[in-house]
Amino acid sequence: MKTKIIIALGIISTAINFSFAGTIHVVATTQDTRSIAELIGGNKIDVFAIATGYQNPHFVDPKPSYIIKLANADLYITLGLDLESGWSPSLLVSSKNTKIQKGSDGYIDASIGVTLMQVPSSINRSEGDIHAFGNPHYWLDPTNGKTIARNICNGLEKISPENKDFFEANLKTFDAQIDLKLKAWTTAMLSFKGAKVIAYHNEWCYFENRFGLKIVDFMEPKPGIPPTPSQLVKIIKEVKENSIKVIITSPYFTASSSDVVSKQTGAKTLILATSVGAFDSIKNYYDLFDYNIKLLVGALK
Amino acid sequence: MYSKNSFLFFILFICIKVQAQTDSIKSDSLLLLQIQNEMQQQQTPPPQQRVGASANPDISVIGDFQGLYRSYGTHNADALLNEAELSVQSVVDPYARADFFYSVGEDRLTGRFSGAIEEGYLSTLSLPAHLQLKAGRFKQAVGRVNPTHAHALPFIDLPDAYVNFFGEEGLKGDGLSLTWLLPNHTFFQELTIEASSVAESPSFERSNKNNYLYLAHLKNFWDLSANATIELGLSAITGENLVKKTTNIGALDLTYKWKPIRYNTYKSVTFQNELYYSQAMLDSTKVNALGFYSMLSVQVAERLFLAGRFDYSNNPYSVKFVQESGSLTLGWHATEFQKIELEGKYTTMNQGLMENSYEKKFVMAYLRWIFVIGTHGAHTY
Repeated sequence: MKTKIIIALGIISTAINFSFAGTIHVVATTQDTRSIAELIGGNKIDVFAIATGYQNPHFVDPKPSYIIKLANADLYITLGLDLESGWSPSLLVSSKNTKIQKGSDGYIDASIGVTLMQVPSSINRSEGDIHAFGNPHYWLDPTNGKTIARNICNGLEKISPENKDFFEANLKTFDAQIDLKLKAWTTAMLSFKGAKVIAYHNEWCYFENRFGLKIVDFMEPKPGIPPTPSQLVKIIKEVKENSIKVIITSPYFTASSSDVVSKQTGAKTLILATSVGAFDSIKNYYDLFDYNIKLLVGALK
Repeated sequence: MYSKNSFLFFILFICIKVQAQTDSIKSDSLLLLQIQNEMQQQQTPPPQQRVGASANPDISVIGDFQGLYRSYGTHNADALLNEAELSVQSVVDPYARADFFYSVGEDRLTGRFSGAIEEGYLSTLSLPAHLQLKAGRFKQAVGRVNPTHAHALPFIDLPDAYVNFFGEEGLKGDGLSLTWLLPNHTFFQELTIEASSVAESPSFERSNKNNYLYLAHLKNFWDLSANATIELGLSAITGENLVKKTTNIGALDLTYKWKPIRYNTYKSVTFQNELYYSQAMLDSTKVNALGFYSMLSVQVAERLFLAGRFDYSNNPYSVKFVQESGSLTLGWHATEFQKIELEGKYTTMNQGLMENSYEKKFVMAYLRWIFVIGTHGAHTY
């Protein structure tokens, strides 16, 4: 009896080992790259995302518990462009995982190939939090999602070439789905082309550019500097002068200053989703734009 | 005949109308398509060349300007540039990275500046089995305060126990440090083993023989929830003391942090504690000394922090000496690169010391202005 139990346990253990042997362990810095990676990698990968969807990706605490995930990862996906500079490099070094260090096959910079916006000609911190490589919120343009997907697909193919056809087929489906959805999103936004809005933080330029909005000003007087009374006075004046209907903000900013402007002007504060998982209904990268477009269309009518 | 013509005319009218509507729909569709195409394809911003590709290391300078008041002495108010720290950090090659911190400080008594390499070490990036080797001069991996540079601490003065056991400059030395990330998938565990020629500190002396300072530190970390974490560190240190005999120190650090993920830039709480238990072998006696501090820091607003701390400490060579103090620090963080802090501290001792004009009860107040230029690496969690 004892021998049978040992043999059974051995078989189960072997079966478990085999079932996990082929799975590629991926760590993504954000929920957006997690979602796209899952759509490309399918059941060949498992993905852990560090930042939650309702968290400011600039300010993530590099908790040691994340290091365990990185230490056992085959692939690391970063949005790059200094977006995660306050936490990603220290986590990578602490992981002591040679497979995912910058320059290794397991390191994917999702921004490669993206046409960047707001690339500064010089860096001066008197202008606030300026990103040396350009505005890093590029995933908020769905066409850039296709570039991200291409980069992830390339990375997956490098470490799992035997699944190349599978990843390529998923990429093709993803691209087609984005093209299809983009038509619906742009059609929904057609009537509001050029609509003027106020944004809390300078993180919507790619979204603005894609869907034809016009951001007039920001609640923050400079990127990363909290709204000041004089800035609020300026914003209230601009909202009234331009008949602006909407102030767009993000889940991780408090609404106190936006509410002041709303009360004074009647403009509506919209908390748009900056990432997958920002709200319960946003399960994947497509949902992110479905949610934001629906909210904007409702408010701009 | 009339009705037949009318009927044909009606049919013709309908055909024209339908054709016109079809043309209109076609025209609308074309317009829609045109606008869609415009929004989908012509919105591409002008390509901009990527900047920043450079092999230069990250360089920063951190200024630490301080004002100080003491309730004793004749010259009891002062202002000084306490420290200017130059950091140069970069990856060396695919196998290693290097970090240098050069500190220039002002002597409070003489006003003279002197510089020293605070830290300068190479860390490997490619050892197998989750190992990392550090070689050079570095701060020893004991507790929470010692590995942290002073400008990043939530208080201005250092805890009494820390100063009494390790000195104002802390425990640092030249040597090797090997870190191993334990294969524990349930919670984070990291073991650090160090051997070094230690710089002078109250507990340890730099030996003129082959007697090095040896240290082992086990760091344990748990996520209690998405918003709360706890860290427990255990350290053991052994080295030569000022009478050329051995001092052994056991240290424990316990830190609880709460920070709501969604609003993590607005609110946080840190409860941090460290305890040192020292056993110093002297010529004919053995001294068991104790020191600890307990600190609670609360982020009361987006840029405002309040920290209270209680300190208790013996001297590593005298258990009869007891120093206790309470302090409160208010910090305003303008940005990530600039903060101003104000601290008040009340201290009692059972023995007066020369450096405190033999006062047994005294008050100290500090003002600190920290400012950073350049690119400075992130601090550990």
